[in-house]
Amino acid sequence: MLEVINASFSYKKLNVFKNVNFRVNEGEVFCIVGPNGCGKTTLLDCLLGILSLKQGEILLNKRNIKIISPAETAKQLAYVPQLHEKTFPYSVIDIVLMGRAAHIGLFSAPSPRDVAIAEEVLELVGLTSFKDRPYTQLSGGEAQLVLLARALAQKTKIIIMDEPTAHLDFKNELTVLETIVQLVNNTGLSIIMATHFPNHAFYFENNSIDISVALMSRMTFSAVGSPSEVLSEDNLKSIYSINARVVSHRMDNDSELRQIIPISTVA
Amino acid sequence: MATHKKVFYILLILSPLAFIFISLFVGRYPLSGASIVKILICKITAGSCNLPDQYTSIVWEIRMPRAILGALVGGALAISGAAFQGMFRNPLVSSGILGVSSGAGFGAALAILLFNSTSYTYVFAFFFGGLAVLASYLIGRVYSTTPAIMLVLGGVIVSSVFSALISFAKYVADPYNQLPTIVYWLMGSLATARYHDIVVGGIPMVAGISGLIAIRWRINVLSMGDKEARSLGIDAVVNKGIIIACATLATAGAVCVSGIIGWVGLVMPHIGRMLVGNDNKVLIPASLSLGACFLIFVDNLGRLITGSEIPLGILTALVGGPFFVYLLKKTKGGGW
Repeated sequence: MLEVINASFSYKKLNVFKNVNFRVNEGEVFCIVGPNGCGKTTLLDCLLGILSLKQGEILLNKRNIKIISPAETAKQLAYVPQLHEKTFPYSVIDIVLMGRAAHIGLFSAPSPRDVAIAEEVLELVGLTSFKDRPYTQLSGGEAQLVLLARALAQKTKIIIMDEPTAHLDFKNELTVLETIVQLVNNTGLSIIMATHFPNHAFYFENNSIDISVALMSRMTFSAVGSPSEVLSEDNLKSIYSINARVVSHRMDNDSELRQIIPISTVA
Repeated sequence: MATHKKVFYILLILSPLAFIFISLFVGRYPLSGASIVKILICKITAGSCNLPDQYTSIVWEIRMPRAILGALVGGALAISGAAFQGMFRNPLVSSGILGVSSGAGFGAALAILLFNSTSYTYVFAFFFGGLAVLASYLIGRVYSTTPAIMLVLGGVIVSSVFSALISFAKYVADPYNQLPTIVYWLMGSLATARYHDIVVGGIPMVAGISGLIAIRWRINVLSMGDKEARSLGIDAVVNKGIIIACATLATAGAVCVSGIIGWVGLVMPHIGRMLVGNDNKVLIPASLSLGACFLIFVDNLGRLITGSEIPLGILTALVGGPFFVYLLKKTKGGGW
């Protein structure tokens, strides 16, 4: 569905990443993990068509995204931002309706069908009762779910998420992760996410989601594969300069949940 | 929307018509309500009404065009302010943020200096108002994008340059004749409104207002910021360009016939937010109506309280300020 071939990007003379290759298939979660400033967000911006690659290409359903219009891209690729600066106190339903923008003409407003879709996705994320609340009064976790609902309203096959659980407490973090698992299982959605929590990759693996992890460091992907392969103690040491242990916890249903425990920085 | 909200909204949208009608009955010249109604009836039915021609012309040639122009100007300023607030994601911007008012003010001052009369102020004010916005836009355009903060900075720079030029024009103006004309023009007035002004200013105003009403829902999406708007499928540069062009047409059209009237473009959208909420689909038309009603009301007040008419630019702030505080307290800011 989405294929990135030999992608490189630089701001003027500052190289951000080069030779990045990957593909994301239907129903797959693709996690990009890497230290601060390694270029994860820049890579996502390139996927969204906000920045353009210096070299290489990004193919969305075999078409180069360079030649696809913003509206057409938004029908195939939705986005959940990391930091969302709230401005006006729009109601929750107004925010979700904005996800329909690509389907609504230049001089039109949302139709009853768009409203029905917005209500349906609000139900998917469990926020039906919040419909008329000002979204500026929501908690961080609720607001994140509203933005996820907005992305779902775009009715795309792929959603890109930039740190979807940043600033969330344990419960909200798990709510977001559970919602993602449910969506991937029920609708065959593909998800590309940048995250600072490699443990999320294990969470998905444990929930038998089709998942790949890419380690991003030193301006490229240093490893791509399943979480158990890629998130090894050696690799964590090499990209984050930390000593960590990967431990395994046996769950009640006899499955195993792996988790990373960060121990110390490498002197 | 619930039914009672819908009824309220429809009444709000139609309210400028009531304000225009009421303002026909307001003025220094003592005309009885009955004769005004009679004049209106015979104008509409094209019959004769056995009243002095002078009465007809007061109602039909003076009060009517003044009320219509007031509605257009107030509406144009408020709708542009609302559109800019959404687009710039900033509740503190007004219709003049990109320098249209200062540019127009300088144009008018220049015309008064050059021709010693106010006959060319329309053209000059409109032209320089547009020029100022274009300059702000070009300053704000970097790497083929137009970030809100750069546009606002561009507007601040251009506004201060034109303010300086206005001061310079005042400085070199003949103090007995030109200077008072410039100062009075800058304070804004509808006192000389005729149908001619409605045609001259009305064409750009109606064009700009229609454009903003048509594109209003997209302002919601643009207020999410360029990056999110783009990911939602909206080309921010193109859509911002359309909104700036429409708001500039509307504001420049208003300023060139009425002079500089502040406050309306900043505060009417906020009163709209308190009454109908922040969704631009309803806020934009609501701001239009509120601006229209407010300016007609203030203009009526201005010609009632003193014989020598307090300039509009002064009264809008004097009347609007306390009213705004009242609403702010009553609605607790409407969710801010």
